Amino acid sequence: MSISIEKHKKTFVVTRFDPDKDEVPKTQTYEVPCQDDWKVLDALNFIKDEIDPTLSYRWSCRMEVCGSCGMSVNGEPKLTCKDPIKSYGDTIEVAPLANFPVVRDLVIEFDGFMEKFQSVKPWIIRAKEKAAEEGTYRQTPAELDEFKQFSMCINCMLCYAACPVVANEPEFLGPAAITLGHRYNSDSRDEGAAERNQVFRGEGTVFSCSYANECSEVCPKDVDPAAAVNQAKFNAVIDWATSLVLPRGSK
Amino acid sequence: MEVLRHDIIIVGGGAAGLRAAIAAVEADPGISVAMVSKVYPMRSHTVSAEGGAAAVARDDDSIEMHGYDTVKGSDFLGDQDVIQYFAEEAPKELTLLEHWGCPWSRNPDGTVATRAFGGMTTKRTWYATDKVGFHLLHSLFQHSMQFPQIVRYDENFVTKLLVEDGAVRGVAALDIREGVMRAIVGRSVILATGGAGRCFPFTTNGNIKTGDGMSLAYRAGVPLKDMEFLQYHPTGLPGTGILITEATRGEGGRLFNAKGERFLENSDYGVGSKLELGPRDMIARAIYQEIQAGNGIPGPYGKVVHLDLTHLGKELLESRLPFVLELCRTYVHVDPVTQPIPIRPVAHYMMGGVDTNIDGATDLPGLYAAGEVASVSLNGANRLGSNSLTECLVFGARAGRKAVEFAKGSSEGNQASLGAQAEEEAARIDAIRGKQKGGEKICQVRHEMAHAMEEGCGVYRDQESMKLGLADLLKAKGRYSDIALEDSSKIFNTEIIAYLELGNMLDVAEAMSLAALERKESRGAHACSDFPDRNDQDYLHHSLVHFEPGGPRVGKKAVTLGRWEPEARKY
Amino acid sequence: MRPDVPAHPHAMQPSKPGSTRTAPPMRPAKFPAGGNYLRYMLFDATGIVYMLAGLVALGIVWQLGNGEAAWAAQMQRLSNPIYVLFHLVCLASVIFVGVRFFSLFPKAQPPRIGPAKPPPAVVFFVGLYGAWIGITALLVAVLAGGIF
Repeated sequence: MSISIEKHKKTFVVTRFDPDKDEVPKTQTYEVPCQDDWKVLDALNFIKDEIDPTLSYRWSCRMEVCGSCGMSVNGEPKLTCKDPIKSYGDTIEVAPLANFPVVRDLVIEFDGFMEKFQSVKPWIIRAKEKAAEEGTYRQTPAELDEFKQFSMCINCMLCYAACPVVANEPEFLGPAAITLGHRYNSDSRDEGAAERNQVFRGEGTVFSCSYANECSEVCPKDVDPAAAVNQAKFNAVIDWATSLVLPRGSK
Repeated sequence: MEVLRHDIIIVGGGAAGLRAAIAAVEADPGISVAMVSKVYPMRSHTVSAEGGAAAVARDDDSIEMHGYDTVKGSDFLGDQDVIQYFAEEAPKELTLLEHWGCPWSRNPDGTVATRAFGGMTTKRTWYATDKVGFHLLHSLFQHSMQFPQIVRYDENFVTKLLVEDGAVRGVAALDIREGVMRAIVGRSVILATGGAGRCFPFTTNGNIKTGDGMSLAYRAGVPLKDMEFLQYHPTGLPGTGILITEATRGEGGRLFNAKGERFLENSDYGVGSKLELGPRDMIARAIYQEIQAGNGIPGPYGKVVHLDLTHLGKELLESRLPFVLELCRTYVHVDPVTQPIPIRPVAHYMMGGVDTNIDGATDLPGLYAAGEVASVSLNGANRLGSNSLTECLVFGARAGRKAVEFAKGSSEGNQASLGAQAEEEAARIDAIRGKQKGGEKICQVRHEMAHAMEEGCGVYRDQESMKLGLADLLKAKGRYSDIALEDSSKIFNTEIIAYLELGNMLDVAEAMSLAALERKESRGAHACSDFPDRNDQDYLHHSLVHFEPGGPRVGKKAVTLGRWEPEARKY
Repeated sequence: MRPDVPAHPHAMQPSKPGSTRTAPPMRPAKFPAGGNYLRYMLFDATGIVYMLAGLVALGIVWQLGNGEAAWAAQMQRLSNPIYVLFHLVCLASVIFVGVRFFSLFPKAQPPRIGPAKPPPAVVFFVGLYGAWIGITALLVAVLAGGIF
């Protein structure tokens, strides 16, 4: 293992946008002396600290778990704290994530995402809650494995930036929201699949997904949202068919 | 001035803040809870916790054992009534999290699995592979979404507590997106803003850990307790400081120096037969001493020691420590399956914080605090790994319930007066945003502060270096108002936020340095090379730092003792 | 510099207007013809091919109702190189979509169907491709006059 901390100059072309001053976003170029082992976020922090303190972007954990620092790097959605400088040439373009309205510079508005997220009822739904004194529910490792992968989503929204359906259909729930709903549907402790499947068949319909698979390609945590969405389609249909045969009471 | 009215206001959306909100709403479904956080809740730093959360789960364990381990881990500075309550409530809290969807790792029979952790006499750390903070935070946040009474103010930065008629009745919050100040008022406020690792140059903490809540309380007259106790986590990645969880040692990882020696076997380090499962302060000191003695392995970011997981096998590593594998491969280009991981001690957690009692209440009526921001004091002079997440849940819940009780008995306060205070805050910020002239940069002063803190409040301290560190810190503080602010935009201005955060960090750093200077003994994480022994006669008390216009004043507070008598801390 | 193409003006828009003016959402930079998007666009574009194939099939069936002479004329027309090319494109589309769709199958299985776990991926491949090749072989045999 060798980490070189020599510095090499790279050119960053960064999107800037201040709604009070700019009609439309524009770009600004910065020359940054980069260490070989830097991630794109390290370069942005250098720009903000040493060159231009007016550059705005979100970041926090710098260890690929908080999901704050998603941006478009050379046209592809990346988690900038994970994305190594070394994989690029001398010029790197940094822009805000695609498919989202832009608030300022590299900062997107994602309240639309929060709404879709909340609409799938991402919490354990049970007819009867167990009291804490009664202890935990039993869940075997196999049962845990059924949804564990889908619970790994850090809400970085790279999948939304990659999805062509999100780009064209504002109502579509989108990869992460559907994956989260599916995660709860697959959790052995949950009893709310019927409610969530109704949301899946509603306005934001899961059937808008036409299997581009870009969401799974860009996901930095290997959640495989495309699998979740397509499994959700299957479940939504089964749920609809059984609801015709077995009418259910309100839940 | 827009005045938004609720009943309880919670500042901070991590584990403690979310748990408090849920507890408040469950205590009284009719109340309105404002959750004000400078980031969206799922970005809170709780998310980065890896190893696990402790609670008695097995038949060979008991509340008393958990309590004793915690008291001993705290080097007998923890308040024993708090510790007793904590150990009792812990299993219930983690069970509730399980009911709310947290995907705890399981035994084959479906019961919750536990792993060994530092300083714990038996396995009581519940875990979720090695991303417990992530799963816990997301489960809590998602569970909280079903309560319409919890109104979120995301990306709102609280700059001041609004005090009126002797009680805290709200906060002045700067909307980061709009750049507009608002008064969010109610009948009680709970601080859950976390610690301040970013005061240090090398830390596990993310960008947002800047001690905001500590500074808010401090400036409102509430003392900060036990600030000298900063935990250095033994195993952080060199360069970035990224946390490599204690669970690596819990699962059997071993530490080696440049000579290939398992140096913790040296009895001087005091970990006895526990070796790598000793308490964090002792292991951090051991590593530091090994490096000082010339046994460190050189690397591009200085000397390190090796954490060896190669004997654990690929299967165990992939099933129980997958995130550790990912982090090592991505950030130091090492594959723990076949290579040892370079690590060194890194600033991690603050045992000290806002002085509260067991209810999370400060001595300012209406103000509560829970989680890392508070010093309840559960952790005393040193925290055991996996106690912190449980602490956030137990005391977040209690503070939530107590804040509701207080709110019922308190009045709303004078809206006009509160609004006027927020107006003053708005004017203060508007006067400097993009306008303040000077010769300094934010990052310069920040680096100077961080360097001073490393100098004075390192793994080992002595009076000489603490005084030098404090002097350097005060120099840095003197330059704060000489920082040039260039971003005049109101919309999502992160420069002004960074500036305000730096101000908060300078307050916290000063309190830490002063408290450290006062404590002329070694206890827990505060290790003095010139006072190497613990001195219960003179120093079995908490330290307090009070903000005063003329300069901070240091004081004392008694430790609540109980069934466990202070004894020599041997493992 | 890549050109910025706007996405749908309401893409990812919250239900209430945001509190500050935003710049409109932009499409993913590589869409529609860059990276993996080209394959996706072709995948969805095969829908046009099927639509045309459907119209051609309807035309043929229509001629069936118009008597033997009309049918013979239709068969004559179908040997025109353009129709042959069209049918080769149909074949390519069906194979492309079939392969892509079959590869999705194992991933799209729910974790459990009732009490049973879904079979491993290889079962799907053998089953789906086996059925496809088998039925194709059968049809070819029938059409070539080998059977029936």
